[in-house]
Amino acid sequence: MTTTTPAIGSIVPGAAGAGRSTSGSPRRRAAWAGLAFIVPGFALYALVIAYPAVQALLISLRDYKITPGAISPWIGLDNYVRALHDPVLLRSFVNAAVYMVATVPTQIVIGLGLAVLLNTALPGRTLFRVLFYLPVVTSWVVVSLLFQYLFATDNGIVNYLLVDVLGVLNQPVDWLGQRWTAMVAISALGIWKGVGWSMLIFLAALTGVPRELEEAAALDGAGAWRRFRHVSLPHIRGAMTTVVILLVIGGFNVFTSVLLMTDGGPLDQTQVPLTYMYRQAFGYLDFGYGSAISFLLTGLVLVISGLQYWWARRATRDGAA
Amino acid sequence: MIAGSRRRRVTVAAVRYALLIGCALVLALPFAFMVSTSLKPHTLLLEYPPRLIPSDPTLDNYAQAWGANSFGRYFLNSSMVAVATTVGTVLLASMMAYGFARFRFPGRGVLFAAVVVGLTIPTMLLIIPQFLLAKNLGLLNSLPGLVPFYVGTQIAFSTFLLRAFFEQIPAELDEAMLIDGAGPWRRYWDLAVPLSKPALATCAIFTFLGSWDEFVWALTVINDVSQRTLPIGIALFRGQHGTSWGLVFAASVIAVVPVVIVYVVFQRQLVAGLTNGALKS
Amino acid sequence: MFLTRRTTLSALGACAVAALALSACSSGNAGSTQSALSTPGASISGTVTFWHAYSADSNEAKTLDTVLIPKFESEHPGVTVNAVAVPYDDLHQKLVTAVAGDTLPDLVRSDIMWVPELADLGVLVPLDQQMPDFTSYSNQVYPGALATNAWKGHYYGLPLDTNTRVMLYNSDALAKAGLTKPPATFADLRADAPALTAAGVSTFADNSTSGWNVLPWIWSAGGSVTDDKVTKATGYLNSPASVAGVQLLVDLYKEKAIPDTILGGTGGTATSDGLATGAYATILDGPWMYPIFASQYPNFQVKAAPVPAGDGGSISVVGGESVVLTQSSKNKDAATEFLRFLLSQDAQTEMAKVGQMSVLTSLGDQLTKINPYYSTFVDQLATARPRTPTPAWPKIDDILKAQIQKALQGDLTVQAALDEAAAQIDPLLAKYAG
Repeated sequence: MTTTTPAIGSIVPGAAGAGRSTSGSPRRRAAWAGLAFIVPGFALYALVIAYPAVQALLISLRDYKITPGAISPWIGLDNYVRALHDPVLLRSFVNAAVYMVATVPTQIVIGLGLAVLLNTALPGRTLFRVLFYLPVVTSWVVVSLLFQYLFATDNGIVNYLLVDVLGVLNQPVDWLGQRWTAMVAISALGIWKGVGWSMLIFLAALTGVPRELEEAAALDGAGAWRRFRHVSLPHIRGAMTTVVILLVIGGFNVFTSVLLMTDGGPLDQTQVPLTYMYRQAFGYLDFGYGSAISFLLTGLVLVISGLQYWWARRATRDGAA
Repeated sequence: MIAGSRRRRVTVAAVRYALLIGCALVLALPFAFMVSTSLKPHTLLLEYPPRLIPSDPTLDNYAQAWGANSFGRYFLNSSMVAVATTVGTVLLASMMAYGFARFRFPGRGVLFAAVVVGLTIPTMLLIIPQFLLAKNLGLLNSLPGLVPFYVGTQIAFSTFLLRAFFEQIPAELDEAMLIDGAGPWRRYWDLAVPLSKPALATCAIFTFLGSWDEFVWALTVINDVSQRTLPIGIALFRGQHGTSWGLVFAASVIAVVPVVIVYVVFQRQLVAGLTNGALKS
Repeated sequence: MFLTRRTTLSALGACAVAALALSACSSGNAGSTQSALSTPGASISGTVTFWHAYSADSNEAKTLDTVLIPKFESEHPGVTVNAVAVPYDDLHQKLVTAVAGDTLPDLVRSDIMWVPELADLGVLVPLDQQMPDFTSYSNQVYPGALATNAWKGHYYGLPLDTNTRVMLYNSDALAKAGLTKPPATFADLRADAPALTAAGVSTFADNSTSGWNVLPWIWSAGGSVTDDKVTKATGYLNSPASVAGVQLLVDLYKEKAIPDTILGGTGGTATSDGLATGAYATILDGPWMYPIFASQYPNFQVKAAPVPAGDGGSISVVGGESVVLTQSSKNKDAATEFLRFLLSQDAQTEMAKVGQMSVLTSLGDQLTKINPYYSTFVDQLATARPRTPTPAWPKIDDILKAQIQKALQGDLTVQAALDEAAAQIDPLLAKYAG
């Protein structure tokens, strides 16, 4: 579907080489070689992910009963129709979109900033890299508890700073008790836990930027910003696209932090698609509806990432041409 | 002039350090809180407001966590599973990514799209079908049985990431090897893999962490106490009515150690890449 | 392989014979025609797998593994009990998946509220059919704890341990408002509130509006959720008495005598911290709070009183766990025998020593001897009721929680909120009534 790769000769050298050949056989050989690289991994993936996913898709078309042997009546698209009329589900999608918009650009800017700062032979570099990576490895349970504290109403540090130290507010905010303020807290956790992750990918990408180009630009009198803008950034464009897509997918799939910090409450105000799906499926044993919710989410995320991918590819091609 | 540029360089370094230290404080603080709580005795309720320096620090929680219910065994189990998963994922995903990035063949777009779809499907949704599959394959209740599922779950991410890196390898290098008569495998193993070490290291770091931390699937399929992994061991310290937070946090700190070691070891590749960069121009 | 299977089969045959032969000896219960296998090791053998959710560092787990199981195994030399701890928060998810895969263990220590759900899925063995001596056990336990094991005319479990919520109070906090005793009635609560609020103390605090939290107030006011047959909520949940119970909470909340934590937000001071530090004068909570207070707030002297009484008396809510036998068990006889053992006086006393309240009414006095603080709970248990025993309970609970929150926030009157809740609950009950 939308993610279908546009074949670009210049960055698919195997294909380009094959195209130049007069005989058809190297092209075919290249095709077989490509498939041979893909088959082992893809076969495993197809077995343990794709096949269960197809089954889950079938579950979403049934009034699914979990007991083996029980009859699960085929109900067509009823679960999907029901989902489209479910105000809580709609709200959960809006919340996830808000979370995505709040966390993805921030993580990219901070993650890239840290990667640039650390992409030098700086003494103490390893220590900083470890410190920045710690949030990524600290368990969700621990960090969610901690953010509950930071954003607690009565004795929370955030309220303390805002009210007592900075004097910005007159009275403490009930952060986790209202929809938008709770989304702020949940987003803050997402950003905090995620910057180390994008930093790592950007670091890997930045190491591929040729030193000579940077030095040449420096000799030409280009400042740090211009060097970054015109030398580093074009080189990490591929990684950037990847990070953006992965973060958008991750943003819409936010789950653990919401489950632990608010559990979708109060009154389903902070529900996101996956916490709502989890409640329907594992709380109410309505796996048909839970699956339908998941596939609606997957469909939405696929369309968005497909558009991003297509857009990034087109930008690359236009830039190259 | 020279003095001026040196002063500028010092200023730049100072700003750089100030920024780094500031970020480090914010990012590491919660971890510090976890360590501090793990050193406090009897923490059934978390201190309110939290205090960073424990008044009477003790290592009791660590001793108790390590001693409880074959915690060491869980640690070993998790290590074996995480290493096998990491090796399997990085190998299979890099091959897949190479296939997608450097070859053109019918169905390539569709297959790649199928992999991307896998990134977007919430794994929670797949639990029941996967459980039935694992049962039919005889992979329930077995430590090695976790590995194919972990590899399958993580392979899409690494494939997606690595493909972007493989595509950046300049075509001339490939063609030079082609002229030398190098086959596809040699071009993958001797050219793409060494050039993409930073990306492979990144995948290894994330894959190791992903399988080391995985909880829901391991809990669902493993029944034998001796086959359990570390996250289950830690969750078992959480009670219905009261949780010994000191124990949970001590166990969590122990669990972080191998992840940090793997990170430190592999992230050297990100530094080594700095010198390799020259190859590409 | 074949040999093993045949041996098992013949053992099962022997079991049945032994059960018949021994029927008269062990139980003097008039109603039952048969009785337990009581001769140690007579004819049961094999492995019994038992899932529970005692935490790894708990004394309950220690007693189970080092006292109870070895004792049972020595009485029944052919039987091995394989106790598997599952993290509490994840037990339900693991059970659900095991149902789908037909991989349930022989026995499960299940929350009392999950029994109707599991029974409705058809994965549990009706114990009143499996155990000829069932009534000799069901007669011994608290009726409130037994009730949620019933589903469509059969009992699918026996309560294993029980608990209830009573009023825990901080006498220093009460003293700040010049009060010398805790509120004993709804009227006391209303009367004490202004003085406590003036002293900067919340009269009462809770952390949710789910059934576990609000049902004591509804029942004590004389209200209920459904009729006795669990077929209808309209006319019960929105009856004047039920409304009065919730109205008390809403009124206290409006005059700031109950803090915002009752809305279920996670930002406020936890009820346990607030009580110990004197911010809250009273809370409703269970016996497990005693060891927690003792270790976290050694200077705080927690005191207990019955749930304040309304027009319906002082009625609290039953919690705890049941033990259930699954259809997928390959070793039902040995499993049943272990189930009997877990309900024996000995086993119940051992577990009571490590903080688990016994379900046996006969052990009430002994419980108080083991831990004096049990006495208020034992008294409260005599009249405590279970939440509505129906597979639809998780949904009903969420509806209750949401509608009562709306009443607290002033979006709806209590009557309108409960009307709406009852209207939403009726179709759920109807779904399972047929």
